[in-house]
Amino acid sequence: MIKAPTSVDLREFSEDVENSETKYGLPNEVKYCSSCVISNQRPNSSVEFQHTSDSKKSTINFDENGVCDACHQTRRKNTEIDWSDREQELKDLCDRFRSKNGEYDCLVPGSGGKDSFFAAHKLKYEYGMHPLTVTWAPHVYTDWGWKNFQSWLHAGFDNYLMTPNGKAHRLLTRLAVENLFHPFQPFILGQKNLAPKMAEMFKIPLVFYGENEAEYGNPIGDNSTAIRDYKYFSGLDKSEMFLGGVSLLELVEDFGLDEQDLIPYLPADPQKLSDNNTEVHYLGYYLKWHPQSCYYYSVEHGGFEASPERTPGTYSKYNSIDDRIDDFHYHTTRTKFGIGRATYDAAQEIRSGDITRDEGVALIRKFDHEFPERFAEEIFTYLSMSPKEFPRASEMFEEPMMNREYYDKLADTFRSPHLWQNVQGVWSIRHPIK
Amino acid sequence: MANIRLIPRLDIKGPNLIKGIHLEGLRVVGDPQVYAVNYYESGADELLYMDIVASLYGRNNLSDIVKSAAENVFIPITVGGGIRSVADADQLLRSGADKVAINTAAINDPELISKLSQRFGSQCVVVSIEAKKQSGGKWECYVDNGRERTGIDVVNWVREAITLGAGELLITSVDKEGTRKGFDLELYKAVKDVATIPLIACGGMGCLEDFDNVVKDGGVDAVSMADVLHYNRLTLPQIRSAALDSNINVRQP
Amino acid sequence: MKITVVDYGIGNLLSVVRGFQRIGCDVQLAAAGEEIVSASRLILPGVGAFGDGMEEIRRRNLEEPIREYAESGKPLLGICLGMQMLLERSFEFGSHNGLGLIPGSVIEIPKQTPAGNTHKTPHIGWSGINKDEVSWEDTFLQTTSPNSPVYFVHSYMAAPPIEYRLASCDYNGVSICAAVKNGNIYGTQFHPEKSGPIGLEMLEQFLTL
Repeated sequence: MIKAPTSVDLREFSEDVENSETKYGLPNEVKYCSSCVISNQRPNSSVEFQHTSDSKKSTINFDENGVCDACHQTRRKNTEIDWSDREQELKDLCDRFRSKNGEYDCLVPGSGGKDSFFAAHKLKYEYGMHPLTVTWAPHVYTDWGWKNFQSWLHAGFDNYLMTPNGKAHRLLTRLAVENLFHPFQPFILGQKNLAPKMAEMFKIPLVFYGENEAEYGNPIGDNSTAIRDYKYFSGLDKSEMFLGGVSLLELVEDFGLDEQDLIPYLPADPQKLSDNNTEVHYLGYYLKWHPQSCYYYSVEHGGFEASPERTPGTYSKYNSIDDRIDDFHYHTTRTKFGIGRATYDAAQEIRSGDITRDEGVALIRKFDHEFPERFAEEIFTYLSMSPKEFPRASEMFEEPMMNREYYDKLADTFRSPHLWQNVQGVWSIRHPIK
Repeated sequence: MANIRLIPRLDIKGPNLIKGIHLEGLRVVGDPQVYAVNYYESGADELLYMDIVASLYGRNNLSDIVKSAAENVFIPITVGGGIRSVADADQLLRSGADKVAINTAAINDPELISKLSQRFGSQCVVVSIEAKKQSGGKWECYVDNGRERTGIDVVNWVREAITLGAGELLITSVDKEGTRKGFDLELYKAVKDVATIPLIACGGMGCLEDFDNVVKDGGVDAVSMADVLHYNRLTLPQIRSAALDSNINVRQP
Repeated sequence: MKITVVDYGIGNLLSVVRGFQRIGCDVQLAAAGEEIVSASRLILPGVGAFGDGMEEIRRRNLEEPIREYAESGKPLLGICLGMQMLLERSFEFGSHNGLGLIPGSVIEIPKQTPAGNTHKTPHIGWSGINKDEVSWEDTFLQTTSPNSPVYFVHSYMAAPPIEYRLASCDYNGVSICAAVKNGNIYGTQFHPEKSGPIGLEMLEQFLTL
């Protein structure tokens, strides 16, 4: 039985508390990168199917001058890497895999956003490959996201769109929110797993992702290779797997899910991958990635359109705009790590040289804290486990229906006292960026 | 009729001339002074400067840029972005601007239009509107450089602005700007019917025909352009020459 | 060459100053009466409402010095509102008295053409100017070609008797008084300092008078 959230003890969040508790294994002292604006609380990517509420996070590394790994990676990108060499490596790779008879020779996972547009288009039209694009559906499409997805395909790509069954997806999302405060987990699971599985199914030996998350702060060692570590998307021991922080066994026995329902979320079978000789590469290793340039590229070559409205929590209109639940993803990262969407967007744009750090700080102070009103009601309905729709699962929740009040209370339980304070009923970040 | 005016638009962030698409993904183009002088020498009729980060920092920061421009450019200069009060406008006019353009501040406090036009004359007051197309043949006003919705209908706001004393209207199509796919002609047609003051079109100029269409079908009095000039896809003399060939009155400098 | 510009707190002085500096003048801003009277060439700029402009001039005790300067026979150039204020009165936002150095009133630009079409006000933009009653010789227009485009931005227009009209322009069928002359006293409704090289040339010619 999943209990409804209870109120937190506000004394832990008072202004002058000392030695506050630090959740998630985050660093106790909050620091901001002196070069971009990311904080040292930024968690590295998890292996999601091992993610439970007890999991401790490893976080982005800062050097002794207070500069983060992602900025170091940017410096290397700009000064140390020989991009013509790298491009030659890409050409060699493509030559090795290019099909002679027009059959698919590489798989490009993507959504039709600016980055996947760039990747697919370059591979097909510049490097002469025959990509099959695959898409793991957003939880809830935005209108403009769907439109951009269509525009992408109409620029000349075959595509398989995998939409996991809506019921299972909603349940897993609700569980991920309850246990991990991580609504995006079901999306991430599918996103990471789909391409390798499809590649194996279609016998396509090469998969291209875009940027390596290491560009944003995963351990810098991850950057030295083009090849994505199998650990992120394969694994075999089901007894050690969790979805939404719940073991697979419990999901079937207690929550009314079928084994079949779980399949899309489970990682690929490493044996099958190796039998197929599947290689997963980052295009960002071979081509110097600049998200804003991808925006221009996708507008020019495919009619990509930025969102017609500003995304809550940030200033941007072209980053990650196809899923209505995205707004909440960033709201939860802010709740858990003190990092909202404006911070992520600004950090990236500062590193890319598109904005200055001062501007980034001003943007964060203006937008980072916003609550995503625009789709809130719709998302709360999405997350509600009504007895009619979820006869079995609804019984597992003390309060199966979700609303703003529930969400707010739940959010509070995920706030770490070392990050948050509550003064006269108002929550604020203890150490905002200056 | 009066000559149709060609007005290069310079979007400024800090010290740089920048440009985006749909007012997003802003890229540095170069030194604004270099471009301004170049446009003056190629026969621009006016220059339009917009401070793109003004609302972020709470004020317009273009005084210095305008001063430098006024040193070398002897055509009218309009400045917009973050102008919130009579004092803000005064400072810019003293720095060499001839007209001020207001958007967000006017929507938040429409009386500002009257205050400015009484103090400086309506010919100094350009009401700038960022229009985004909605369904049903309507457009919504956006503010803060195309970031925030207001729920206000463009045509209604135009009427109100005129009543309050605006001297000119600058109407930018958020949908078209930066795309080079032509102007939103329907937008200008809809506004034309109620606009008794001069109307400047902005957003979407890609080819010579676009200019022709927006003047003849859209009925506008002036055309503002950015991308097509900054990236040297067309020059002002080319645009002028094509206009004359097409029987459009433009200045022959 | 020295030139004096009246500073009465209104209008974009910078452009006028820069325009004359560009053609090599030493520009003095005059906020006090003595500076005006002792000037060798005087410019009266102005942007905005007639009533406000005249009030500022009176408040700063500049009306008499300007009249005194005008009587001296030295060249005086009023620009835009500056030109309008040279006339006897204006009907903008009520009735206001001007400097009366040129006969006539300032009236609203008609909103309808003689043919019955409505057109837009303010009159903003570039229009070509042509001779009216008065010859352009020995004036600042002596090197200007007919139909030269210059920049106008105004809602009210001067309507002096015909013998004072130096130049006019056609705005959609309405004849607008573009420049005036009364002996040594000149005015331009348009902004020569904003009319590109053609305007700067006029400023240069003003220096030869």
